Amino acid sequence: MSEHSLRYIDNGSFFTRIDALSKLIWVLLVIIATFQLGSNEARGIMLAFIVLIILLFARVPLKTIWQAMPIILIMGTLLFIVNILTVKSTSFITIAGYTVGEQGYDRGLEFFLRITIMVLASFLFIWTTDIRDLMTGLVHIGMPYRYAFSIFLALRFLPIVQQEVDAVKAAHAIRGRASYSPIRHRFRLWQRYMFTVIVNGLRKAENTALAIESRGFGAYPDRTYTKSFRWTKTGFFLIIIFIAFAAWLIYWERFLRA
Amino acid sequence: MTRNAPSTDKPLVQFDQVTYQHYGKPTPALLDVNLTVRRGSFTLLVGPSGSGKSTLCMLLNGIIPQILGGKLNGKVTVDGQDISKIPVQELAKSTGMLFQDPEWMFATLKVEDEVAFGPENLRRNPTEILESVEQSLNYVGMEHLRKNLVWALSGGQTQKLGLASVIAMGTPLIVLDEPTANLDPATTHSVHELILRLRGEGRSIVLVTKDLDEFMAEADDMILLDKGRVIAQGAPRDVINTYGNKILELGVWLPETTEIGLRLKAEGKLKKDVPITVEEAVDVFANARFKPSRPSENTERKETVLIHAEDVEFTYGNKFKALRGVSFDIRQGELVAIVGQNGAGKSTLSKLLVGLQKPTHGEITMFGRKARQWKVQDLATQIALVFQNPEHQFLCDTVREELEYSLLAQGIDDRIIINQRVKNMLERLEISETSDSHPFSLSAGAKRRLGVATMLIAGSARLLIVDEPTYGQDRRLTESLMELINNLRQEGITILMITHDMRLVDAHIDRAIVMANGQKIFDGGPDKLFQSPELLQRASLRATTLRRLVDGLRERDILVPDGLNTVADFVGAMQ
Repeated sequence: MSEHSLRYIDNGSFFTRIDALSKLIWVLLVIIATFQLGSNEARGIMLAFIVLIILLFARVPLKTIWQAMPIILIMGTLLFIVNILTVKSTSFITIAGYTVGEQGYDRGLEFFLRITIMVLASFLFIWTTDIRDLMTGLVHIGMPYRYAFSIFLALRFLPIVQQEVDAVKAAHAIRGRASYSPIRHRFRLWQRYMFTVIVNGLRKAENTALAIESRGFGAYPDRTYTKSFRWTKTGFFLIIIFIAFAAWLIYWERFLRA
Repeated sequence: MTRNAPSTDKPLVQFDQVTYQHYGKPTPALLDVNLTVRRGSFTLLVGPSGSGKSTLCMLLNGIIPQILGGKLNGKVTVDGQDISKIPVQELAKSTGMLFQDPEWMFATLKVEDEVAFGPENLRRNPTEILESVEQSLNYVGMEHLRKNLVWALSGGQTQKLGLASVIAMGTPLIVLDEPTANLDPATTHSVHELILRLRGEGRSIVLVTKDLDEFMAEADDMILLDKGRVIAQGAPRDVINTYGNKILELGVWLPETTEIGLRLKAEGKLKKDVPITVEEAVDVFANARFKPSRPSENTERKETVLIHAEDVEFTYGNKFKALRGVSFDIRQGELVAIVGQNGAGKSTLSKLLVGLQKPTHGEITMFGRKARQWKVQDLATQIALVFQNPEHQFLCDTVREELEYSLLAQGIDDRIIINQRVKNMLERLEISETSDSHPFSLSAGAKRRLGVATMLIAGSARLLIVDEPTYGQDRRLTESLMELINNLRQEGITILMITHDMRLVDAHIDRAIVMANGQKIFDGGPDKLFQSPELLQRASLRATTLRRLVDGLRERDILVPDGLNTVADFVGAMQ
């Protein structure tokens, strides 16, 4: 039974029912707004807003969010530490017994929050979007269906690649560790995961390409759709409400915050 | 039984002097092939691994040569179209193809979208497509799953969805390449029935399968391939009567009833035609006399318990309960099979036995220590698991390094000992000539053997678990693997097989643990297992043709002794 964290969850939630293009526009707006925010307090509020949507309007299970956290935490923490170590600071603060540069800390936190907001918004898109709707949406706004479909296929196979990685990890675990150093062993394992997953991935990608061509994909410059794309009103409201919220947040941090 | 729609003599597929060489390969995959597939006919394509079956299938929809390249001489026409001149996408209107692993054929997320995908590509009217989606899903009995996600389907449902997707294309020719390779026997049977129904409705079917039991009598034609050449083509009965022994020599699985007939014919003990179905075999052997039962040679109960499982449960993080209160023992020296439907909990059980998962309830004691006290790496010195896909467990760039790695992982680092053991293992498994090859470049059979070798070379493993030993292997490769397994057993290694292959179960094992919906529903010998139709049905299993033959003879009051588990047993017991 698959338990992978990065895949569509068809739970009929409010957010799931919004059309794919509106959600895509929303993700882009989140990214733009995040770069407009100048304080960590405002970024914190933005993060809370995203988390609220994930929990209340998308009803993504906590376990799924938890399983996705390592990706976010590793990226965010790395950026946080790099900034603490590299940004020159003129004042210092003590956190959990460690003295760190204040400017480095602030910059580290800024990067941590930015990356967390952007990655969570993107994950929310993956969790709540049937990628086929995205494909038909992109075709609807003029993208040739072959290109739209390539995005679709990449996301379609993400869970299967994850399964493959798990299978390889399990198989390697029972092979035991040769008398190399732990770091060399770890390196060898990673090398082999990549090799096996890439070789099998290419092999399977070739099979997929053969299979879809043999089902008439690309026979004509266009194709028909049993489910055509429709903009949803809720998508429109999501965009409007978010623009209003982001505008208020920017106004708040620039003019109202003490 | 599906009534056969009459096939016509009009050719739908024609191969004229076809020779094909894959790009970069030194020898042709197909050589001077001439064949015809008639409209409305059902053709079986058989041959050993590497005989050119899949290559031939890919010529039928133009993938070869148009996408895979290579050198094609001669002419292949499908529905009057030259496959080298019409684009693959155009040929999709004539040929529907179900690949070996349909999961990779799927291009969408939902069942109904998947079925609609092909007709949408062909710009069919959306209303017509929706009708055809409904009809196709009804056809395979999956209408209730139309909103489901494709990755949440079971193995059997995945195959049926693949079939529905092909049916919805409405092509006159349907090509099925090993559609039931990894399905439980009952699901295999239901897929077989669907195929026969399609043929009954006038579609032309070309089927590649190693599971000929249910098709030999139904098929109109049978094409036998070896080393890229057509050895025989004709009505299955004619091919069997003329080339039966050749087919066996090539390592192709035939129904046990047919094998018995061929053996008796070779010994001059059968004057009639070789039987194909169980019913025919019962008629042919209705006057046979059998020697009385011999006492079982090995009735001693093996007492040393290696593995003791007590009320084991396992629940995945998504609340799916894969095992429910499973208890069993594995004793020293046994050959035990775990069998049951797809998704019954067999693979989960094997993960628990090698320590990759821990029970969420109950206890497994392994070699005197509780499962929770074992680390995976330590347990690996005692239990060896050979994965269904051995590629997953390879870590090195050559076969030799792969074996050396296993020794180093067990703390054996004396270069002399390593060289000696690697040499011995390579010779024993007959893979010495490939010692410097990359493990991924080996043949399917050699990969399997290397998988076993990597797990056993250190010599400390006491239990070998083999997941689906027959998957993707022809008869010769399977027999060679089973010979290896039986030899290991003679050396004192306990064997646990996870398999769907009932013939293998009947022929080799001491005991079967039958799983259904996460529960153990049977634990006993094959004789008892195959005598209980209810049990078989509950576990989605089917008795072998040999067992059904014996049952059929007994129903006619013929005294057939117990313990006839193989063709050799049956022939040997005849007077």
